[in-house]
Amino acid sequence: MNQYIATFHTHVSALITTRTLTQNGISARMAPVPRKLSSSCGTCILYAADDPQQEKMDRDVEHIYRISPQNQYELLFQNL
Amino acid sequence: MKKVNYLVISAGIAVGIAALVLTALGNPANMGFCIACFERDIAGAVGLHSAAKVQYLRPEIIGLVLGAFLMSVATKEFRAKAGSAPATRFVLGAFVMIGALVFLGCPLRMVIRLGGGDLNAVVGLVGFVAGIAIGVVFLKKGFTLQRAYAVSTVEGSVLPVVMTGLLILGLAAPALFHASTEGPGSKHAPALIALVIALVVGALAQKARLCMVGGIRDLMLFRDASLLYGFVAIFATVLVGNLILGNFHLGFAAQPIAHSSELWNLLGMVLVGWGSVLLGGCPLRQLILAGEGNGDSAVTVFGMILGAASAHNFGLAGNPDSLNEAKELVVGGIGTAGKIAVILGVVVLLAISLINSRQEVEAK
Repeated sequence: MNQYIATFHTHVSALITTRTLTQNGISARMAPVPRKLSSSCGTCILYAADDPQQEKMDRDVEHIYRISPQNQYELLFQNL
Repeated sequence: MKKVNYLVISAGIAVGIAALVLTALGNPANMGFCIACFERDIAGAVGLHSAAKVQYLRPEIIGLVLGAFLMSVATKEFRAKAGSAPATRFVLGAFVMIGALVFLGCPLRMVIRLGGGDLNAVVGLVGFVAGIAIGVVFLKKGFTLQRAYAVSTVEGSVLPVVMTGLLILGLAAPALFHASTEGPGSKHAPALIALVIALVVGALAQKARLCMVGGIRDLMLFRDASLLYGFVAIFATVLVGNLILGNFHLGFAAQPIAHSSELWNLLGMVLVGWGSVLLGGCPLRQLILAGEGNGDSAVTVFGMILGAASAHNFGLAGNPDSLNEAKELVVGGIGTAGKIAVILGVVVLLAISLINSRQEVEAK
C-alpha cells in the first residue's frame, strides 16, 4: 500500500474524485494543497492505494504524486 | 506545528506591523491596509469616479502586485494561466467591492478594524463568516467556474505591467492623477515608504498564500486551520500595537471611517464572504494571484475597480458615522440605492452559484 496525493484544477473535480475513490473502497480525504507543491490554494486528495488509480481521476486532475516514507513527493502524472 | 504555519503567522505579523506603521505615517485610522479602499482611491485617481474625498494613486496596491510578481519570478512560481470564467469573475469582483464599500472595508480592513476596537467590524465578521458558509454550501453542491489553462507569459503579466505603468506615470507625471485635498484620500503615508512596505508584504503574502477568506473556508471544508493563523496573527498584532500606541477605542459609535448601520454592515460582508469563496480568494489574494500570473484574478481586480467606481458614481458606498456641530452622533450607513445594490448583489451571487454547478455532484 502506497500513499498518494492528487491535486486538481478545480475543487469540484477533487470532490467528484473523492466520491469515486471512496465508492471503490479506497480511503481518501480532501485537504488544501501543501504549500511545497503549489502557490495556489486549491484542493488535493490524500489517499492510500496499491497503485495511483489514475483511471479513477476526474477530468480536472492536475498532478498525481507518490508520497515516500520520507515525505518526499514523486511526480507520477501531470495534466497541465 | 508545521513549518508552513510559521510562514503564515510571520506574514500575518508583518501585515499587522505594516498596517500600524502606515497608519502612524499618515494613512487613515484603522486603514493601514485596505484593498477595497485603496482600489477605490485608485479608481478616483484615474477619474473613474468623482468623489473628491477618495482619490489617490495608492502605492500600496502597486506594491502588493509587484511584490508578489517579483517573489513568484524569483522562486520560479510565476505561472501564466487564465480562462476560468473571466466575465463572471469580473461581475463577482464588482459585487464583492460594492459589498466591501457598503461595510467600508475589505476583509483585511475588517480585521484591522477589529484590532482597533471597532465593534461594527464584529458585525461585519458575522456577515463575512455567514457569506463564506453560503459559498461553502455551493462548493459542496458542485459549484465551479471551470479550470484555467496555461496562457502566454504576456497574458499572465497584464496586471503587473499595468501597475508598473501606473507607478511610472505616478512618479513622472503626478499631475495626471486626481488627488484628494481632504477626506481619507488626502491621508496617506509617504509614497515611497508605502511602496516599499507593500512590496515586502506582497512578497510575503505570495509566499504564505495569505488569504482572509481561505482560512475560514478551509476550516469549514477540511477542518484545516493553517491559513486562519494569518488572520489571527494580523488581528493580534494590530490589537497589541493599538493598545501600546493608545489607538484602541472599543465601541460601536463614531469609529474611524465606519458606520453603525449594522444590518448593512452585516449584509455587505455577506456579499464579500460569499463572492470571495466563489472567486477562490479575498481581494488581497486576488492581487497576489494576479501578481503571480493569474489572468482571471487580474480581470477580477479590474471588476473590483469598476465596482468601486460604481459604488461612488451611484451613491452605493457607506457613509461614516459623524458628529454634528452640537457634537451629536449622526449615524451613517447607506442610502436606498446602496440597499438595492446589496440585494441585487445577493440575487446575482445566488444566480451565479446555482448556474455554475457540475450536475453529477448535484445528482448525488
